[in-house]
Amino acid sequence: METWIFLSQIFQIFIAFCLFTTLYGKGNPLRSFAEYSYLAAGTAMSVMWAWNYIRDHAIIGLQAGEWIWIPAIILGLMMWFRIHPKYSYISRMPIAFTIGIGMGWTIRTNIFTQFITQISATIVPLFDQGAMWLFERTVIAVGIITMMSFFIYTTEIKGPHLWSATFGEYFMYLAFGAVFAGTFMGRLGLFVGHMQSYMFPVWKQPYTLGIAILVFVVMLWLDRSGLGEKLSA
Amino acid sequence: MGKEDFNLLKWMATYDKRWTYLLLFILVLLPMIYPIGMPISVSELTKEYYEQLETLEEGDIVLDSWSTEYSGYMELKPGMISSHKYFIKNGIKLFICLGHPEGLALVQALLDEELKSYMEKYDYTYGEDYIILGTALPNQAATLAMATDFQGSVKVDWKGDSIQGTFLDRIETGADIDMISDYTTGAGNPGLINHIVLTFGTPMIQNQIGVSLPGSLANKDAGLITGLLASTRGGSELELLVNEPGPGLIAMDAFTLGHYLLIIFIVIGNIGYFGWAKRVSEERERTTIR
Repeated sequence: METWIFLSQIFQIFIAFCLFTTLYGKGNPLRSFAEYSYLAAGTAMSVMWAWNYIRDHAIIGLQAGEWIWIPAIILGLMMWFRIHPKYSYISRMPIAFTIGIGMGWTIRTNIFTQFITQISATIVPLFDQGAMWLFERTVIAVGIITMMSFFIYTTEIKGPHLWSATFGEYFMYLAFGAVFAGTFMGRLGLFVGHMQSYMFPVWKQPYTLGIAILVFVVMLWLDRSGLGEKLSA
Repeated sequence: MGKEDFNLLKWMATYDKRWTYLLLFILVLLPMIYPIGMPISVSELTKEYYEQLETLEEGDIVLDSWSTEYSGYMELKPGMISSHKYFIKNGIKLFICLGHPEGLALVQALLDEELKSYMEKYDYTYGEDYIILGTALPNQAATLAMATDFQGSVKVDWKGDSIQGTFLDRIETGADIDMISDYTTGAGNPGLINHIVLTFGTPMIQNQIGVSLPGSLANKDAGLITGLLASTRGGSELELLVNEPGPGLIAMDAFTLGHYLLIIFIVIGNIGYFGWAKRVSEERERTTIR
């Protein structure tokens, strides 16, 4: 393996464990260093990414005689006026243009994807696909109706409405529980994936464990000596 | 506090939460050093995803959308690797579109490292079998342009080389795309559904992170996406189905132990809450009222 690849892998592991020190709950320079390095690298990549997009589409398009890119470039340049207090109003024009286009798309497409198809997927035949289907669809239908009744605030909630709203409330608790479970599963998946990338190939394992212990000890020492908070940014 | 004052319920409600993190680190790292090999089952969701893959035929063109950053890739990695192994093995043509600045790093991580030997094995070559278009789908505008006038909106690959003379010549609009394979860490690029699936009826499969699964499940229920792979777990199940064991199955020991730990701490937290924290808070309330 080339030396620079080896060093970059070790640095990657080190910086990851520095970021993990944020779980200790107290500031320290290791975390600050990792955090700002990540932000700087992320910003640099975003700039490069945006420039590549402009090059591949606008510049190459212009070279091919596609003059439609000229107003797009002008609108993009107008955004820069935002940094000048006197002329910052000019930057509102491309923003308004973008919002207008966004609204157009939203009205044209989201009304189907987020509204009509979702509703029509809820209103389906109940009795033609077996007992499990019947159970699932009934739960969905009852859940939707009772949860919606929970959000009717314009009348006093009493009688059958109270029953329905209470039922809907418990449906929501179940849904929040499922979302929490999904969140934990996802975050654990992320964490395990990251740990795998630091533990495999197997040659990384001693380095990873060594770095983890080193960062942990330094973090504790910084905290005990009072330097952690003092040196953190 | 003396030893005689130790109250288990109080400890359950007030223990230092940092122990949870430390234990999680240990439980995740240990099975990577000493694997246990816990068995896993394949869910219906993953089976449906696999059935969608099986509808593809050699030479079909798939829009391969990577709307994920590097951290999300860690969760989606098993699904991405096994899906791509299926594509490579079965001669599916891919054009890869990135939707995130860090996507460029994923090209190196996935294609140049994880799948390199596999692509060599099946003689899967750049230009002939797959093309990286780079940051071609950053937003809905770009997706709409690509969907309605592909040749007019995409002219070069990520290195600036012309795509003329490649399999992409066959694409004029979204109707010529045989499938969309989306790897996303959230809403991803809604333009894929809004401007390609909705307009042309192109089937779309998605590999989604756990946090955003509920939204994708609703889309699957509504028929907007036809296959859904859930987080690392779904990826590891797909590894079983495509018979290509990989990082997902290795991760499952740590994944399972991590969930056991969560269940234990949920139980401890609830006992602590009902046995101590709630009682103390009610007593305090009563004292204040008096």
